[in-house]
Amino acid sequence: MADFDKTNRENHLLLDTHVPVPDPPSSYHLATTPDLADTPCSSLQQDHPLLRIPLELLRKNFRSAHFELEKDKKNVVETLKETATRAVNNEPPPTEDVLKSLDAIIARMRGVKRKLAASADEEQRLYRHETARVRHLAEIYAMHTTDDVKYEVWSRTRLDRMLVDYMLRQGYGDSAQSLARERGIEDLVDVKTFEQMAQIRDSLRNGSVTEALAWCTAGDTKKELRKMDSNLEFMLRYQQYIELVRPYTPAKLSEAIKHAQRFLHPYRETHAAEVRQACGLLAVPPHRAASYPAYAALYAPQRWEALAELFVATHNRLLSLPSIPLLHLALTSGLSALKTPACHSAEGAHRQSAEGRANVASLASVCPVCSRELNDLARSVPYAHHTTSHVEHDLVLLPNGRAYGRERLDDYARKAGLLDGQVKDLRTGEVFSEERLKKVYIT
Amino acid sequence: MAMEVLEKELEKLKDTAQLSNSLANVDKIIDLLTAARSEVERANDPHVTSLTLTKLQNPVQRGLDAVLDDLKVVHKGQVKFGKALEKALTTDKDTKGSLPEDHDPMAQHPTLINRAIAMHLLREGQFGVASAFIAEAQPQRPQSSISQLQSQLSPLSPSSVTSPTSPRSPEPYESHLTPMDELSALQSETLQSSFAEMYSILSSLKERKLLPAINWARSNCAELEARGSNLEFELCKLQFIWLFKGPSVNGLPDTPENGRLGALYYARENFGRFQHRHIREIQQLSCAMVYASNLPASPYRSIFDIAMAFDEVAASFTREFCSLLGLSAESPLYVAATAGAIALPQLMKFLNKVKGKNTEWTTTQEMAFETRLPKSMVYHSIFVCPVSKEQTTAENPPVILPCGHVLARESLQRISKGSRYKCPYCPNEGSVKDAKEIIL
Ligand SMILES: [Zn+2]
Ligand SMILES: [Zn+2]
Repeated sequence: MADFDKTNRENHLLLDTHVPVPDPPSSYHLATTPDLADTPCSSLQQDHPLLRIPLELLRKNFRSAHFELEKDKKNVVETLKETATRAVNNEPPPTEDVLKSLDAIIARMRGVKRKLAASADEEQRLYRHETARVRHLAEIYAMHTTDDVKYEVWSRTRLDRMLVDYMLRQGYGDSAQSLARERGIEDLVDVKTFEQMAQIRDSLRNGSVTEALAWCTAGDTKKELRKMDSNLEFMLRYQQYIELVRPYTPAKLSEAIKHAQRFLHPYRETHAAEVRQACGLLAVPPHRAASYPAYAALYAPQRWEALAELFVATHNRLLSLPSIPLLHLALTSGLSALKTPACHSAEGAHRQSAEGRANVASLASVCPVCSRELNDLARSVPYAHHTTSHVEHDLVLLPNGRAYGRERLDDYARKAGLLDGQVKDLRTGEVFSEERLKKVYIT
Repeated sequence: MAMEVLEKELEKLKDTAQLSNSLANVDKIIDLLTAARSEVERANDPHVTSLTLTKLQNPVQRGLDAVLDDLKVVHKGQVKFGKALEKALTTDKDTKGSLPEDHDPMAQHPTLINRAIAMHLLREGQFGVASAFIAEAQPQRPQSSISQLQSQLSPLSPSSVTSPTSPRSPEPYESHLTPMDELSALQSETLQSSFAEMYSILSSLKERKLLPAINWARSNCAELEARGSNLEFELCKLQFIWLFKGPSVNGLPDTPENGRLGALYYARENFGRFQHRHIREIQQLSCAMVYASNLPASPYRSIFDIAMAFDEVAASFTREFCSLLGLSAESPLYVAATAGAIALPQLMKFLNKVKGKNTEWTTTQEMAFETRLPKSMVYHSIFVCPVSKEQTTAENPPVILPCGHVLARESLQRISKGSRYKCPYCPNEGSVKDAKEIIL
């Protein structure tokens, strides 16, 4: 430096003391792994449902609009024909009667218009969702590595999406809505769909099949459920039957028999065993069921929870929603990829303890698996497999058995203001003279 | 590419497939019907009525068919877009196959996941969402789900997995409480107020106000110094430069406390405590005073270029603040979910390969395949024994031989004859007892 002398001379400007000038701190590198090249962004597989759901909902919206229209058309055409036929009869009805019929037809057509307009609104909402989602995914398609500066922003949005999805599936509607609102991702999540789902699920948990049955039989859902071989409707009818038998009064029992003839009998081929058991149930009142485990199971309150789960699974399959929260998937895959044998060792636990933390140098970031947010959760997955070592290239061994990169030790020594020739353990804080360091060879 | 095509297809869909397009035809029918109704009412004559009604049949029928035709257009559009979507989703560079949904080890631990989410929301400063979440995640129904019930009954329930070897720190929110008590404790106890403090300091930094951060660093200087952190000095240095730039840049009042003079006072008052550790930088700043009139041409211009400096101190402030709470600066949930997305293709590839063998891959101790994560996601040293090609563990730790070569303890036992070994990587020989365990 040409102005070195001047530097010393001008020292007094800011300080009164004169201290020798140390070397500039050199930058160090954390343990890097040369063979881990730039990684491709991510699997997009897990984002496929994001695009599929609006389309599934569009289809469903269309099908129900179409179903309703066909129904209304049939009614309008028939009523009109009937009215006309009556009008040309020998004894034509009074004008008021004809007007009444026409008014009914007009009202029906206004209903058609109202329903179509509502479906059109839903369609607009879903188009908005699909557009936002295609754009959102286009962003990640345009990135080539995780080093892209935009990747982190995108990846955070992805986590927010996963969190909202998780909250909705758990039934935490308020949290889901407020997170979606705060992050401005309402078009990327399916609050409405999950809320309807949660309502029906909760009604099942509270012992009511009405809402779930309405869902099963609304529009053409019945047909779609048959296509996927769903037994949801049968199970709901079966539960209705059990509830009729349960009070074990003559009136209810005869109602139960009628219900069985109407709703269970049609399933006698496909669900033979269950239908037979249903008949047997008539002979076993609830208070005697304890000695017949199969019948006790039919009376058990847990059946409602099972029904709720069956409904959720059916609902999700119908909309091609993944059966488990994407957050679970990401955590299983991510924790196992990050986890090392050290994460649950006594050494790791020490690092987490208050005393271990106080001494830890600020030179390394805390491993997410070692962090107390995720440490216990990560116990349920295996640790990552590695075929090569990833260690610092300039490892030296301290007398206490711990090894660190030399550059990192020197840097820490400087920052900690140690005397020349001394180093400080980055974790334990012990100070050693550098003659006692020993080179480590990793092959 | 795939998404661009899809975007175009979506535009086409939105242009043509609109249920609202059918409304005009519905209106026409309503018009026909109301006109007929007026005619019937006006004439009030059976003959006119029957004629009107007969004439009405076909147009209404045709009108309804037209509405159905409008719907057909929508359906066609959806079919076409559906095909485009499938194409876009299958021609991309993804792994084939479906998501691994069969086996979900996370389903056993809803309370642990909820805790992680609550902490994530708090550390992200999403206090409103966090409190809604904590309220909703409290179990109102003792049995809200069978799987939850099972996990509560199983011996591996979250509250009992705390390993006896892990010493726990004294904070109230991670001691003897059950995870759910813990969840509400998260909010009411120190964590939320700590993060509130962090965000208030960060927002001051955003407004270029350094003093709150400096005060925080000063009151925690012992801990920061033990960690080898220079945060306090970095903040003071920036304050010096900020004052030095004067009112035209920093927008502070043009008083003796601002500008070069203000910076000088500030340095005299504050830099003394840093003179041992940061003398060189202080000297550089001091020299810069000399060049004050022509800094851009001086060797010190880079020090005074603070375009990024506020962002940088904000980042290192966040890191230190979280560290002192025993937390990492980056949300672990974010890192894990991102790593999960990156590793998922390999997981799917693996699962496709072992399909049908009914492997519950999560029950093994070690994964059966290697996952590649970006460098920034490698947090521990990984040591794979060059002899056995296995990762070392607490049970089979690495040992260093006197020659400096390292291998796994079991490998050393395998290659040694009695109490003597010969190093496989150099001519050295020695006694097994001289091999020392090494912590990497
Ligand atoms: Zn770890
Ligand atoms: Zn050797």
